[in-house]
Amino acid sequence: MAEFNTSIKEQGAVSIINLKGYLDAHTAPILENNFVDLIDKNRFQIVVDFKELAYISSAGLGVFMAYIEKIRESNGDIKLAGMNTKVYNIFDLLGFPLLYEIFNSESEAVQKFTEKK
Amino acid sequence: MNINRYKINANLSWWIIGTLVFSIIFYRILFYSNSSHFFFIINDLIVIPLVVITVLVIIRKIKQINPLPSALVLNSGIIVAFIFLVIIFSEQFLGIIFQNSETISTNPDLFQNIILSFYSLMFLAITSYWFATMKELYFYKRYSAKSIYFYLMLTFLIITSVSSLLFRGKDYDFINNTFEIITAILIVFNSLKISWIAFISKKEKISLLILSIIISALFIINLANSSLNDFNGKILANFSPSFYTFYTLVLLFGGVYFAVLFFTTLFHIPTAEAYDRKAKEVSSLQYFSKLITRVLDFEELAETITDITTRVSSADAAWIIIKEYGNKKILANKNIALVDADLINQFLLESGYCENITETKICSLQKFVKKSQLSEKFGSIAISPLKSHNEIKGYLIAARKNELLFYDEDKTAINTFSDYASVAIENSLLLEQSIEKERLEKELDVAREIQKKILPAKDPEFENLSVTSVFIPAFEVGGDYYDYFQISKNKFAFIIADVSGKGISAAFIMAEVKGIFNSLSRMIESPKDILIKANEILQQTLNKKNFVSALYGIIDLDKEVIRFARAGHCPALLVRENVVKTFKPSGIGLGLTNNGLFSKHLEEIKIDLKQNDTLVFYTDGITEAKNKELEDFGEQRFAEILVKDYDGSVNKIANEVIKNVTLFSRNHTQYDDITLVIFKWYKKNNLDGVK
Repeated sequence: MAEFNTSIKEQGAVSIINLKGYLDAHTAPILENNFVDLIDKNRFQIVVDFKELAYISSAGLGVFMAYIEKIRESNGDIKLAGMNTKVYNIFDLLGFPLLYEIFNSESEAVQKFTEKK
Repeated sequence: MNINRYKINANLSWWIIGTLVFSIIFYRILFYSNSSHFFFIINDLIVIPLVVITVLVIIRKIKQINPLPSALVLNSGIIVAFIFLVIIFSEQFLGIIFQNSETISTNPDLFQNIILSFYSLMFLAITSYWFATMKELYFYKRYSAKSIYFYLMLTFLIITSVSSLLFRGKDYDFINNTFEIITAILIVFNSLKISWIAFISKKEKISLLILSIIISALFIINLANSSLNDFNGKILANFSPSFYTFYTLVLLFGGVYFAVLFFTTLFHIPTAEAYDRKAKEVSSLQYFSKLITRVLDFEELAETITDITTRVSSADAAWIIIKEYGNKKILANKNIALVDADLINQFLLESGYCENITETKICSLQKFVKKSQLSEKFGSIAISPLKSHNEIKGYLIAARKNELLFYDEDKTAINTFSDYASVAIENSLLLEQSIEKERLEKELDVAREIQKKILPAKDPEFENLSVTSVFIPAFEVGGDYYDYFQISKNKFAFIIADVSGKGISAAFIMAEVKGIFNSLSRMIESPKDILIKANEILQQTLNKKNFVSALYGIIDLDKEVIRFARAGHCPALLVRENVVKTFKPSGIGLGLTNNGLFSKHLEEIKIDLKQNDTLVFYTDGITEAKNKELEDFGEQRFAEILVKDYDGSVNKIANEVIKNVTLFSRNHTQYDDITLVIFKWYKKNNLDGVK
């Protein structure tokens, strides 16, 4: 099975989760843990960088839905960035662009957070 | 020749003993004569069988009880100590009856005679017991059956005893002495053969060491106190000359045997510990191999492994590390805190010190920086890899608190146990895998069964609309769902959907979705309104992580119109002439968001149907089918096939699509369900014209 891993870096109040590899039902718990950790630490401004993500399945999409409500209630947000066309099309088909802000690059997404302030 | 063969009926032997005892007492009372040689011959003709049968009876008793040699030794010790006391005090007690010790041999009265007889008979019984005991000790755990020396000694014991009866008087002393010397030599020779000493534990050896020297000394003292000049010696010699000789020889045998036993034990003491350990190792291994085939729970087995490892390798602590999904898990930690084990693991494994060992390695913890953090002072470590299929699956670690390193012998022992542990791990992993696999397959069987029942059994047939569908399930049920609803005579509705997730959970959501659309399709006649209502329901019932993509449409057969709305599902394709048109009206997946946002963005499309219009609905199982290079089948290839076969029947088109997708992804597993629904419209007027 293809590998999946994540790395998190902090940029001021914004946390950036970098996804790498294949995000599906088997690997989704890894990303879930990342969200749980960030929420525990009261870090609600999250950018997810898809630059190195090769594939996302419906179970992978579900992870974003699981925590968005809680994060938005805490005046935070999940912003998505750096998707390749294939991954973007999957998000687009389901109407995710109507639910999430999607940016071309991670820095644009981070900037959006800081502008708001 | 074998004493054991002479078996007499138990009751009979007691009768014989009883008869002989009465005979000897009565004989002595009636015919006592100190000077008559003939008296003694008849006397001993009764005594000798009595001794023989007593010995046989006692041997049989011992065999029945089957005591340990140490118990036999202890019993002889108690009796020899008792006799020691009897001999010392006999003169004082019996002196009350006999004013003159000379009367013992010359002319005892009736009462004295009975007392003396019982006194001697007690000695006879005890001597028989000693002899029987030593015979049993001699034969205990003997490997070779050759007992010729023992029987030679027995023969000479009898000859010497009898000769002392036949050849009375100083003239014949040399004959008796010769026999006595030969017997004594044989006694010494036989005493050297003590084979059972090796099999007892160190603790027993030490107690045996003390016991044997005391018993030996008591035998010798008893022998010295039983000479013909002593009170006791006089009584016994007067009771029966041959028994007296037998008695002294048995005392000698006892003295020599236990002296030899003392020295043998003494020399065995230094190796006792090693022997004990080997014995423990062997018995643990036996226990272990029995366990390994019975215990299926690996953790239980691991406990036993560490337990035995600490005992056999004289370690203070032991634990097992198992590698699982890249993590290292500590199992069955024995006598060590998890924190300590963790620290030591870090030192051993993460420093790269013992990562790639092939056999047991002994390391000192002297260079261990975090040693002070340990709650107990471990000093020496032996680490052994647990291998299966040439891959290191974990480690067995034993630790000692002092600075003494483990020895090579410990290494061998630990190696052996780690080998066993490896086999056990292998077994349990295989078992676990097969159980898990079976469980998963059962679960998937159920999911597939549900899916099969949910999907329509057959495609509907209409006058001017052909309908076909293809559904290919993935191994892990993918959650594809499609259905048809006949709303009224001229209105036909359909849905194609994909539930997020896989397996049984997806199957359950499918069932729910079917229920929702089944009822909504009867009440609402607008694809958009139905999807909005469905979203409202699913938003409440579904887990936040789950959602459903769906496309719902209604075809009005009279008005020749199709209306549909898309909630996050794959686009609809219309093949008209030889052009493929993609319809992707805006719409968010069901269950993703609240109804406000959902309905705001949901678009409904209406298409007027023309002759030979082909409508294609599908799930992402088609476009995301992958080849070996992990390329997607994609919309482009899909469209090309549709164009190529646009004027074929729905079945032909469907077959072509599936054939191409299957060919494309033949070297890659199908991860998702594939669903394809195709409609083809034949214009009503045209058909009428044909009529």
